[in-house]
Amino acid sequence: MNRWKTLGATAVLVAAVALGLDASSGAAQDSGTGGKDVLRIGWAQDPKTLNPFVGVNEEEYTVWALTWELLLNFDPETLGPSPGIAESWEVSEDRKTITFDLIDGARWSDGKPITSADVKWSLEVLGSNGLLFSAYTGNVKSIKTPDKDTVVIETTKPDARMVGGLWIYILPKHVWSKVPLKDLTGAYQPELPLVGSGPYVVAEFERSRFVRMEPNPEWRGDPPAFEEIQFIRYGSQDAVERALTLGEIDFIPEVTTTTFQRIGEQEGIETVKAPTYAFTELAFNLCSEKHCPDAVFNPAIQDKTIRQAIAYSVDRERNNEIANQGNAFVAHGILPSFYKAFYEVPEQDYPYDPEMANQLLDDAGWELNDDGIREKDGEVASFDLYVRSEAPADIQQAKLIAEQTQEVGIEFNVQVVSTDKLTELTIRKVDGKPAPEFDTFIWGWGGDPYDPSFLLSLLTTDEIGASSDAFYSNPEYDRLFQEQTTLFDPEERKEVIQEMVAIAQEDLPYLVLTEDPYLEAYDSDAIGGVERLCPAETGTAFCQQVSYEPILNLEPGAGTSEAVTTGVPGGVVAIGGAAVAILAFLFGRARGRRETEPLELEA
Amino acid sequence: MNARWLAGKLGAAALTLAFVLVFNFFLFRGLGDPTTQLARLPQSNPEEIEQLRAEYGLDKPLLGQFTDYAGDTLTLELGVSQRTREPVWEEIKDAIPWTLLLVGTGTLIATLVGAWMGVKAATKRGTRTDDGLLGFSLFTYASPEYWIGIILILVFAVAIPIFPAGQQVTPGAEFSSWFAEAMDVLDHLVLPVTAMTFLILGQYFLIMRSSMVDVLTEDFVTVKRATGLPWHRVVSKHAVPNALLPLVTIAAIQFGLVAGGAITIETLFSWPGLGELSYNAIADKDFPMLQGTFLVFSVGVIVANLLADCLYFFLDPRVQAR
Amino acid sequence: MTGARARELLLGTWRGRVALAVLGLFILMAIFGEAIAPDDPDASSLDTLAPPSSEHWLGTTESGADVLSQILAGARVSIVVGFAAAAISAVIGAAVGLLSGYFGGWTDRILDGLDTWFLVIPTLPLMIVLSSLLEPSLGVLILVIGITSWAGTGRIVRSQVLTLRERSFVERARALGASHWYILRTHIFPNALPLIFANTVLIVAVAILSESALAFLGLGDPTQISWGTMLENAFSAGAPSAEAWWYVIPPGLCISLLVLSVSILGYLFEEYVNPRLLEHEA
Repeated sequence: MNRWKTLGATAVLVAAVALGLDASSGAAQDSGTGGKDVLRIGWAQDPKTLNPFVGVNEEEYTVWALTWELLLNFDPETLGPSPGIAESWEVSEDRKTITFDLIDGARWSDGKPITSADVKWSLEVLGSNGLLFSAYTGNVKSIKTPDKDTVVIETTKPDARMVGGLWIYILPKHVWSKVPLKDLTGAYQPELPLVGSGPYVVAEFERSRFVRMEPNPEWRGDPPAFEEIQFIRYGSQDAVERALTLGEIDFIPEVTTTTFQRIGEQEGIETVKAPTYAFTELAFNLCSEKHCPDAVFNPAIQDKTIRQAIAYSVDRERNNEIANQGNAFVAHGILPSFYKAFYEVPEQDYPYDPEMANQLLDDAGWELNDDGIREKDGEVASFDLYVRSEAPADIQQAKLIAEQTQEVGIEFNVQVVSTDKLTELTIRKVDGKPAPEFDTFIWGWGGDPYDPSFLLSLLTTDEIGASSDAFYSNPEYDRLFQEQTTLFDPEERKEVIQEMVAIAQEDLPYLVLTEDPYLEAYDSDAIGGVERLCPAETGTAFCQQVSYEPILNLEPGAGTSEAVTTGVPGGVVAIGGAAVAILAFLFGRARGRRETEPLELEA
Repeated sequence: MNARWLAGKLGAAALTLAFVLVFNFFLFRGLGDPTTQLARLPQSNPEEIEQLRAEYGLDKPLLGQFTDYAGDTLTLELGVSQRTREPVWEEIKDAIPWTLLLVGTGTLIATLVGAWMGVKAATKRGTRTDDGLLGFSLFTYASPEYWIGIILILVFAVAIPIFPAGQQVTPGAEFSSWFAEAMDVLDHLVLPVTAMTFLILGQYFLIMRSSMVDVLTEDFVTVKRATGLPWHRVVSKHAVPNALLPLVTIAAIQFGLVAGGAITIETLFSWPGLGELSYNAIADKDFPMLQGTFLVFSVGVIVANLLADCLYFFLDPRVQAR
Repeated sequence: MTGARARELLLGTWRGRVALAVLGLFILMAIFGEAIAPDDPDASSLDTLAPPSSEHWLGTTESGADVLSQILAGARVSIVVGFAAAAISAVIGAAVGLLSGYFGGWTDRILDGLDTWFLVIPTLPLMIVLSSLLEPSLGVLILVIGITSWAGTGRIVRSQVLTLRERSFVERARALGASHWYILRTHIFPNALPLIFANTVLIVAVAILSESALAFLGLGDPTQISWGTMLENAFSAGAPSAEAWWYVIPPGLCISLLVLSVSILGYLFEEYVNPRLLEHEA
């Protein structure tokens, strides 16, 4: 009798597992969309808040950029200024007054008209209080609104950022001005659905689960093909990528560099790789006696020959291959290639040339001492290289750099520290004056989509004590920087910027190593109409945070699924079956045991 | 039940809790001063920092700060998350049921399976079954629970995709009924609970086994056998209930271990409980949140100990007789 | 307290022999591991998440490093942190147990209260809180694990001291005018030592598990490779999804085997120290 019970139980078990497997594989492809055309985007981090006054993360920008617009949007092909809330603009003779003509008859998603009052309020209030928005209006003298369709901005001196660089979202004044400023910069969460002017507005936000966006009923352009966008949050990057391969989502805006190759090899998955406006650099402590009397560093690092030799001895190509799996882009100078309007590969580009490095050092009198390290006038070319523990790719680069510079007699001691610790070292102050304590470090910066001023400003004297972490000071560079901020004509501006880049390449306050990439992946069966934009041809498929145009180009592909999840998931069936089988087995045995002899127990 | 005894236990629990508050307060004030974090923002100026200090109440004398802190904690005002600017308690409140689900189910299954294994091993003491079971539980005890979790994911969520590899529900899914959603949660619960069960199983088994062995050598068992009662009845009706008692005390001591396991397992499976909240707080350097979750974990363990003591009191006939 | 009995337990039982051998193997790995590793454990290559091959016996990691080399190099952290943290916890636990058991009164109430508190508070959350507030490093790990794990030892030592205190030789010493410190040093402490030792061996196991848990959660020393950080890296690099079993199984297996061998030795020591337990083994 026992044998039958066992057989029966096993049969049930096998059937349950088989059923479970079958049901699971079915369920995976059927996750619900309810009949609408939904664009499902997956990510591992979701917005912490929808409030632009306090938000600081990329994911928040992604959502804002679809909901709200700028006075002048970024053109998806060139990234230059293009109509946004304003449909045209005029720059005065002295370049200190710009008149914006707003779009006629435009409305917010709640039906109220978009007026110049909204623009003025946003630029003034968000522009001075938003954590990430307060860097743009420094030169603004006044914002006037002669009528509801006109905005006039006056600046104290010509500032090209007013056209093409005002990255401040225009919010509906009638919604946001009702809230006291203290709350706006505190715990305020706007009501849903959000009131916006962009193609989609946030309709539902469940933190750590998803953000649901619906088309803006008052949207000026053609209705978008996707009737809903869902940003679905997964627990880890790994889970996001798995979800794409399982067909649960259609698009990933951020793929990990280590899995990028692998995910692209899968059938039906396409990947896109594009450089961004962010870079990773090796920074040097160039703080002068004047600015940082109490700084702590090895004075040899301030010898230009040493820095140039370092630049020649580092193989940026190879390091990129190894540390980033070749998924980042080798940088050429402080201006990333993303800034197409102003970019060119600098003449002094420091290709990998250890011979040249040795030559330079020999000619300058840096001799190899007994330890194999260059020495001159009592100074030894041995430096600290700080790198952040949270950035494994940076740590890898640091080690590779140390290996390479060793070949020419320059020694780097790689120190892995926490971000907090490195921050401490760089913002260290003594008696109110900057006193940074480091020789070199590896870190990164990100800029704005069109206007390069922020990234260029990092090397200005004004930023010492603020954003400057190389503490570089060069009056010529400063002068050129001020000049380029006043030039509205891209050609003119490019010339000046190129001069600045040349100076930076000569003095090397930063050795810019790589340009960070956008790594995207999407399901080509689920999405069609993908075009690389921002900028055209060398950009991304999604243009996150910068422009909503690419999303408007997307259309549902052949393979979107429509079912709603019902019934019992496969796994539970398997477990249920197994439990029943085990219980039956035990029951059978218990009944059988009644007739057997009791076991003797050893005393 | 003795009122004095209960009062004593409650008093001890309250004292422990008070210590937790003091500890929490000094640790975070000492090492995690919120304004030092803000001072690192390049745009901050001294006035803003002073203002923030006043807001946080950091300009009051230490004792005043502590009484504020204690009072706030008791009214569930556990501070504001540095990440979301919202009250920490809001997210903790939502996370607690999920951790209870995970931990409760795991403990239940571990108790049942561990007890069964313990009885089996004790009654077959010295045989290969006993050795096998001993070896198995020692191994699960020695293995990191998140390692077992990773292997479970690899085998049962990727290689043979029966179960989902994370979270508590299928992301983005819409459910046709309450039942369907519950089933989905159950589906997601299986792997994390299995990992949790492995974590605690070993100890439960060992304790059950040794207490069964103790009980089986006691006089009353020999007596029962002498009266001709079938062996398996002696075991199930008389020995087991008595042997279960130490399991309760052990369960109490295990709560700390279980809390730790919750953190690693929830992190691994992105299970939205207190553990994942703690892990995210570490990553974000969100000290108010970390403080809050630590407090809740401690309170949870203290309360669980109290309940276990009461349960033991009810179950133990010898204590009852006193 | 004969060495013969200890030898008998350790080397006489097959469990003892195996456990000793395994522990010995890991200690050797800790000392020589990095030297005999086939590759530099940090060296990345383009051959990422590759399955075992003749070139890489245990395959590669997500940055192309050799898994076997990392395993060999990782033993050091587990052994060092495990033993050092256990040592610290032994010192604290013994001190607390001795003082509170011997002196009684308010010393006992305070120290024992402290002991109870550390026993009740969930250990991993406490460790997490402490390590997240400090800079991550091996030293911090050892310190944090050490100061959170002593409570069990403290309790056990205290109860041992309580019984010892009443023994006649102590009374005689007091009568002869011996100072408290003398009695503690020559009579109490040596008798409590075996118990402290046995318990500490078990704490080593706990410390190793704690270190790897902290590493898994990202609180480990970022400059060192340990089995815990390997699991952390494997998970965040998507090793389960890539079915990279060669990356996932070895680190955890090593932790398990090390903890297992230390635990078995610990239980054996306990048997040796506490003869009462032996009755049930007959």
